[in-house]
Amino acid sequence: MSITVVLFWFLTALALLSAIMVLLSKNPVHSVLWLIVVFFAISGHYILLNAQFLAIVNLIVYAGAIMVLFLFVIMLMNLNAETEPQKNTWLKLAGAISGGSLLLILVSVIRSATDMTGRTAQVGEGNIGLISNLGKALFSEYVVPFEISSVLFLSAMVGAVVIGKKD
Amino acid sequence: MNAIILSAILGVIMMFSGIWVNNKATLRWIALAGLLVLLISNIAEMYGYRIWNVNVHNMLYFDRFGLLFNSVAIGSTFIFVALSGSDINRVGKYAAEYYTLIFFVLTGITIISVYTSLLMLFLGIEIMSIPLYILTGSDKRNLKSNEASLKYFLMGAFSTGLMLMGITLIYGATGSFSIEVLNNPAIAQGVSFLEITGMLFLLVSMAFKVSAAPFHFWTPDVYDGAPGVFTSFMATVVKAAAFIAFVKLFDARMSYSSAVVDWKMLLCILIIATLLIGNITAVFQQSVKRMLAYSSIAQAGFMLFAVFSMNEMAKEGIIFYAVSYSLATIGVFAVLLKMKDFTFEGYNGLAKSQPVLAFANTVFLLSLAGIPLTAGFFAKYFMLASVIQTGHYLWMVIVAVLFAAVSVYYYFRVIQAMYFKTGEGETENIHPGFKTGLIILTVIIILLGVAPNLIINFLYF
Repeated sequence: MSITVVLFWFLTALALLSAIMVLLSKNPVHSVLWLIVVFFAISGHYILLNAQFLAIVNLIVYAGAIMVLFLFVIMLMNLNAETEPQKNTWLKLAGAISGGSLLLILVSVIRSATDMTGRTAQVGEGNIGLISNLGKALFSEYVVPFEISSVLFLSAMVGAVVIGKKD
Repeated sequence: MNAIILSAILGVIMMFSGIWVNNKATLRWIALAGLLVLLISNIAEMYGYRIWNVNVHNMLYFDRFGLLFNSVAIGSTFIFVALSGSDINRVGKYAAEYYTLIFFVLTGITIISVYTSLLMLFLGIEIMSIPLYILTGSDKRNLKSNEASLKYFLMGAFSTGLMLMGITLIYGATGSFSIEVLNNPAIAQGVSFLEITGMLFLLVSMAFKVSAAPFHFWTPDVYDGAPGVFTSFMATVVKAAAFIAFVKLFDARMSYSSAVVDWKMLLCILIIATLLIGNITAVFQQSVKRMLAYSSIAQAGFMLFAVFSMNEMAKEGIIFYAVSYSLATIGVFAVLLKMKDFTFEGYNGLAKSQPVLAFANTVFLLSLAGIPLTAGFFAKYFMLASVIQTGHYLWMVIVAVLFAAVSVYYYFRVIQAMYFKTGEGETENIHPGFKTGLIILTVIIILLGVAPNLIINFLYF
């Protein structure tokens, strides 16, 4: 077993375990901390796939900015076990059944998908994830969606001002 | 491309005009002028005049169908601002920003009517939705408006997540974002499970955006909680645009039968559920605004027939349905916003106090119900005829006609209240210009009900 394969399995196990821990932790702050571990593990996968840019952005945006926001919200709302709303048992059951069916379908699709067989991840090769190639693709082939997304951000900014400004 | 770029620029212009223009009435005139410029530039593009020549790398394709719909959407928005502009100004302090957001919604609409890449579909849907979340919550002092906005945002974000997941799976299966690849018969009929799951996710998220049952739960609360003017905009132009995206996306899925998934049957279930829930629940409503929310679900059921039958007639029909439904609903809401009381009782005796409003409202409601001589009749006729043209599923036509008969009941309750019940029929102050606007809209609806080809001919010339 080469070092990349060992790393791959280690990161996979880490990601899955910490994702489960996000759901199982009773304390929401612990959930958020486990979520950070998930993001780090996934960023590790990106590096194995030779996508450094994606790995760094994932760390900065998700593990950095968004997680800080999450922590702020949780601490401001002062969530704890006492204030946790009790959910209806039927609601929980319905959620478990519908979520479980989706999981079943997705797993069976991936197992039986003919277009997945024979395709493996390009570990350590392939260079589309490098910054220079990404930049070239973004500013040549995908320049129209790139420019148009500016309208999206502008409208979100206008909206934030409209909602947030004091009357 | 004219409309996409120009609407974004006009949005920015509106934003900055808020700094220098303090009079809200002036802002409305600026918005109307902007919409007129937008409409003219889009019609010019239909005749081949392009202001910008942008290499879009096959991500957008400006065909007649999409451009005609753009004209319809911009025209409806123009009528909407002309009729209800004073109500937009009353919602809150930031009139300039509301118009800005409306222009940005139009940017999104003009993208999703001409997209050929799933990436553009996603961007268009998002540019269309995010301003709407804000417009829904623009009545900041009203708790119902806040709740509606938050609910709409959370549910919308969830359905957008499903859409992205679907696009990812499709990209994984076909290696492309292009709907030309997606609508390729070999792929549409094929058994690539990844691609089928992706399309199912897209079906769910699109059904959410057009508020088809069983993905309609957000609609009544959001339409009821949002300020009435913006409900009018959301329920008409935006919903029709989502249908255009839906039609483009599922073109090949409906035309070729797949070995694995019976897409027609899936759509069948969606349509019947939507018609059932929309019409039956609308019957029990006490508030006209909430009744209109359910009726918009019911109308979505009819529009889904265009996705279902997917032939030339369906494509003509969906454009015509978009026109007739948008105009009539904008009219009904414009009258509703002038009422002091939004319940059915509030309309009692309106025919005595405001005969012009009552008459115009009657025509709009008749059009929504699909009575002959109004545009709504031909809209429903095109939808049902397109199903008959496919040669199968005649029973669906019968079911649809039955539900249309149910819809007559709740539309006529308003007419009955206006003409046959005694009451004050209290309204806000009615400006003479508003009455003129209503009369013009009435004339357009009757004209289209007599000569539907006025719109459809634009598809072929």
